[in-house]
Amino acid sequence: MSVIELHDVVKRYESGAQTVTALKGVDFHADRGEMVTIIGPSGSGKSTMLNMIGLLDTPTAGTVLLDDRDVTDFTEDELTEERRTNLGFVFQDFHLLPMLTAVENVELPSVWDTSVDRRDRAIDLLKRVGLGDRLDHTPDELSGGQQQRVAIARSLINGPDILLADEPTGNLDQDTGQTILEEVTRLKQEENIAVVAVTHDEQMLEYTDRTVRIVDGVIQQ
Amino acid sequence: MSIADTLWHFPSAMMAWRNLGRNRMRTALAALGIVIGVVAIASLGMAGVAIQQQATSNLGSLTNQVSVSAGQDSDYDGVTDDQVEEIRSLLTNAQAIPQKTNSTTVSSRGKEAYVSVTGVTDANALYDVTEGTAPERLQTGALISNSTAQQLGLELGDPVEYDGHLYRIAGLIDSSSGFGPGGGRGELVIPISGLADQQYYDSVTITADDGDAASNIANRLDEHFNSEGHEDEEILRVSSYANVQGQISSFMNTLQLALLGIGGISLIVASVAILNVMLMSTVERRGEIGVLRAVGIRRGEVLRMILTEAALLGTLGGLVGALAALAVGAMMFHVLVGDASAALQWSSARYLVYGFAFAVFASVLSGIYPAWKAANDSPVEALRG
Repeated sequence: MSVIELHDVVKRYESGAQTVTALKGVDFHADRGEMVTIIGPSGSGKSTMLNMIGLLDTPTAGTVLLDDRDVTDFTEDELTEERRTNLGFVFQDFHLLPMLTAVENVELPSVWDTSVDRRDRAIDLLKRVGLGDRLDHTPDELSGGQQQRVAIARSLINGPDILLADEPTGNLDQDTGQTILEEVTRLKQEENIAVVAVTHDEQMLEYTDRTVRIVDGVIQQ
Repeated sequence: MSIADTLWHFPSAMMAWRNLGRNRMRTALAALGIVIGVVAIASLGMAGVAIQQQATSNLGSLTNQVSVSAGQDSDYDGVTDDQVEEIRSLLTNAQAIPQKTNSTTVSSRGKEAYVSVTGVTDANALYDVTEGTAPERLQTGALISNSTAQQLGLELGDPVEYDGHLYRIAGLIDSSSGFGPGGGRGELVIPISGLADQQYYDSVTITADDGDAASNIANRLDEHFNSEGHEDEEILRVSSYANVQGQISSFMNTLQLALLGIGGISLIVASVAILNVMLMSTVERRGEIGVLRAVGIRRGEVLRMILTEAALLGTLGGLVGALAALAVGAMMFHVLVGDASAALQWSSARYLVYGFAFAVFASVLSGIYPAWKAANDSPVEALRG
């Protein structure tokens, strides 16, 4: 069963007098336990597509289904709530907060929910990505690969259904990138989540279950 | 559990604290602006209080007194016994004390001092005796001002001569009672019988409960003697210092407002600085705030975090500023009133509270726009940086 679906999604941007159509009727779906990689040249609309899947942006036309629920017309606050509970994000340049320790960074998405006991889960997640001995280190005390692992742990803190990765290996060397991808693959199975990644990285295709190619805002079959 | 872990239960405060710690120089400079603003507003407010206290203490007890003397249209060269009785009949809750005055040169042990001489019976109602006693009815002894006694080397029990009679000094009086009649000059107080050759009283002093009562009495006497039946005549000259105090305190209030206004301007400048700092730091952290929004931090939580930052800046600056202002205030009270601890009295210490509250208020106010802007930025745009 698909956990996220896009149906005939169109996204247009108005920039000055010009109208740019970034997505021209895109269909997409991802299932639990599946890793889908979106590839395409720059400017092809793959980032826009990831924003749609990640509920960071709303389509001009078409439908977005999250767990069979239509979230297309959700307000910004409702989308924030969905992102918080159902989505995890991993970025190319990690985007950890420099003034927080590793464990605090992992807790961050749930830190305003005082009801949740997140400290234990944060420590557990950091142990699972091999950083059990780096809990109180700040990002500048960690290597790129370690920072990305903290980011992965952060994306999983709320137990999401979907992990979105925007060039997760883009800022890492070949070997580190590989261990990160192995980590993601393992967690994908352990947590039974869908992973949707955008990449240029050829080595990523080894780990992916399915590849979607997009050119000029149109999915290539 | 460490302090950081405990603080983590207040995520807005924790995040704000850590964010302020990232650029300590900028935080310190922004807080310094607030410190200066609070010092300005609080110490100027306290200066107003100190000046007012000094002015009031200089006026002393005169403000509840009414002084009556012969007016220009009087048939007599002074206040008559009948008039004194008439005045007394008009008073309900105040004492009228008639006096005769003159001046003379007192000499003792080869030294001389020029003093004003007051003949009065109820001396204890008019004078504060610092040493010795002022008898209920002054009949034989005399009172002399401290400064004159020192000047002439006189002590309690020593004799003083006036108009051929000798009086023993029964008490010393404080002569620094401001700018009342005979103020500044030394004073000799003797029984009224000593001035028997003057037929009329030179003045009658009426002591009321307070300044308001004094000015009521003054109005009543003025109406009774100078208006009824005889138009625009001045039979008795009635003067009170209550209106002087009223004028002084209204001037003081104006001064106070002007001083607070100047202080307020500096705090407004400081809050513009905070606005600038907060705006800069939120623009710098745009991507970071985008990440927060992407991982599901609500807009309200981002807003609260940044407002807390501004509030912390204000609190920090306000506290330091209030302490500095207290030091400045203590110095001013020491110089003007002669008692540094008077700065802690609520009448002046409240300006510390006002300054602090204004600092926090102004900081939060200037945090609103940057916080609102950051919270409502689109996550996609913000992530792009």
